[in-house]
Amino acid sequence: MNKNYIILTALMIVLAGGLLVVPERQKYQQIGPDELLWEIIQPTRYVSTDKVAQLIIEGDPSLELVDVRPTADYEKFSLPKSINIPLDSLLQESYQDYLGIDGMKVLFFSNDDIKADQAWVLAKRLGYDNIYVMKGGLNCWIRTIIQPKKPSTDSPSTEFALYDFRKGAQMYFTGAKTETSEKSSNKKAVKIQRKKKKTAASGGC
Amino acid sequence: MKKHKIKNYPHYINPYFGGLLLGILIIVTVYITGRGLGASGAVKSAVVTSVDVVSSSHAEESAFYSKFISDDHSPMYNWLVFESIGIFIGGLLSGAIFGRIKKFRVEHSPKITSKTRLIGAAVGGILFGFGSQFGRGCTSGAALSGTATFSFGGMIVMFGIFGTGYAVAYFFRKLWI
Amino acid sequence: MGPLIPNGILTGNWDFVIALLLGIAFGFVLEASGFSSSRNLAGVFYGYNFVVLRVFFTAVIVAMVGLLYFDYFGWLEMDKIFILPTYLTPMITGSVVMGFGFIIGGFCPGTSYTAIAIGKLDALVFTGGLFLGIFLFSEAFPLFQDFYYSGDMGSPTITDMLGISAQWIAFAFVVIALAAFWITWIIEKRVRKNITPYKF
Repeated sequence: MNKNYIILTALMIVLAGGLLVVPERQKYQQIGPDELLWEIIQPTRYVSTDKVAQLIIEGDPSLELVDVRPTADYEKFSLPKSINIPLDSLLQESYQDYLGIDGMKVLFFSNDDIKADQAWVLAKRLGYDNIYVMKGGLNCWIRTIIQPKKPSTDSPSTEFALYDFRKGAQMYFTGAKTETSEKSSNKKAVKIQRKKKKTAASGGC
Repeated sequence: MKKHKIKNYPHYINPYFGGLLLGILIIVTVYITGRGLGASGAVKSAVVTSVDVVSSSHAEESAFYSKFISDDHSPMYNWLVFESIGIFIGGLLSGAIFGRIKKFRVEHSPKITSKTRLIGAAVGGILFGFGSQFGRGCTSGAALSGTATFSFGGMIVMFGIFGTGYAVAYFFRKLWI
Repeated sequence: MGPLIPNGILTGNWDFVIALLLGIAFGFVLEASGFSSSRNLAGVFYGYNFVVLRVFFTAVIVAMVGLLYFDYFGWLEMDKIFILPTYLTPMITGSVVMGFGFIIGGFCPGTSYTAIAIGKLDALVFTGGLFLGIFLFSEAFPLFQDFYYSGDMGSPTITDMLGISAQWIAFAFVVIALAAFWITWIIEKRVRKNITPYKF
């Protein structure tokens, strides 16, 4: 009888003491790997630049644009009304408030969509929903919205409708921010080529 | 009379085992509902319901009752009421299993009469009911569940109840020993 | 993961079934541990029966340590669970009044329900007293409304107030409780020599 109690006493102390010595645990809640893989292969996380332009023009209040490039780049040029959360500080506590707001769609973008995709995966693993990536990033934004190409004459009429929309969007954005389009144009050249290979399957960018 | 083998102590489960079960029950309760157990809340619901039935206007005017009255459902339609019904059934179950359910009786120290014990119980009940409102819960809700969930107020109530109990035990010893 | 109901994993329809089941488990443990006898309960204050202390503190330390492990393994979000608010002065007053109620009445609300279940009339009277006490309180509420809401400190945890981490608090509770178990075991043996066994 007495011996059992001594064992139980020791057990309880060990259990309680265990809490003191276990290493501090990261409190990030992660979603399971299966779920993450499933989500990653879904194309639904991508939003085309045209759609983004439309949402911005319409003034969708539930859209939260998040620029994940370094702050220096963000200050040079970014989308209107976007906020800047550099990729390497996405996990910081102070930025967590921007994600996972009820009813808000969070759209990540960077120059191409690699960094934005990384941000998306990180946020997804933290369990946030309603997060998206702007397909093609700012490079694509410039090619499609800021400097749209006129489709060749034998293109289907939908191409022309899209072109008309892009022209309108171009006026909306460049009219409001004239200098930015110039500044950003020199950024364009470098990364486009690489990215094109990666996402060859989809249209647009 | 079988259970009077060891002197006349009835068959209770080992208190530490009981405590372990109760501790696990608190964890399960918190895990499922996000809050601990309670008991006095059910009586409060009963009081509010009774007052509401007897004089609805009085209940609505009162700053206290009106906090617990809703148009959607009766104040008895409450988590703690169901839980307390459960406590009663659980007691019934355990009493039946261990053979403790007997005809109605008053348990008291041989030095006092049944009447004294009943008066004590009534006075104690009134005090407990009164105090539980200020304490935001009774022994189960505030002291036990509160402390177990690391609430500062819960710990205050726990020390308050047991501290007072020990401090004044001497003056009421005739009631018990 | 947990808590299940606040996190919407279990929907509201199950609330009352769960309440009933948890209540049954609670009542069963209370009764089976001997909390349905007021003489058992009061024994803790006179040293002849420490069952209250044993059950109560075992439950507290098991729950504390268990909850911290649940938190550690990420099964339970501790910041989503309900923390009893603290109203310092009314709570101290209330607990002192309850302390008197306990020693005079010999029950607390939960235990009195189980005692009624096994046929204790004193428990029935105690519950009647509870009803009356809360009724008197409610009727007289305007008199001490200000006092009732005084000392509002929000819902601080012990960690918030004392600045000690929850792990250390749990550890301290465990050590104190275990020490108390051993000490009271010795006290009880001594006291019981001088006391006539009582009938239940």
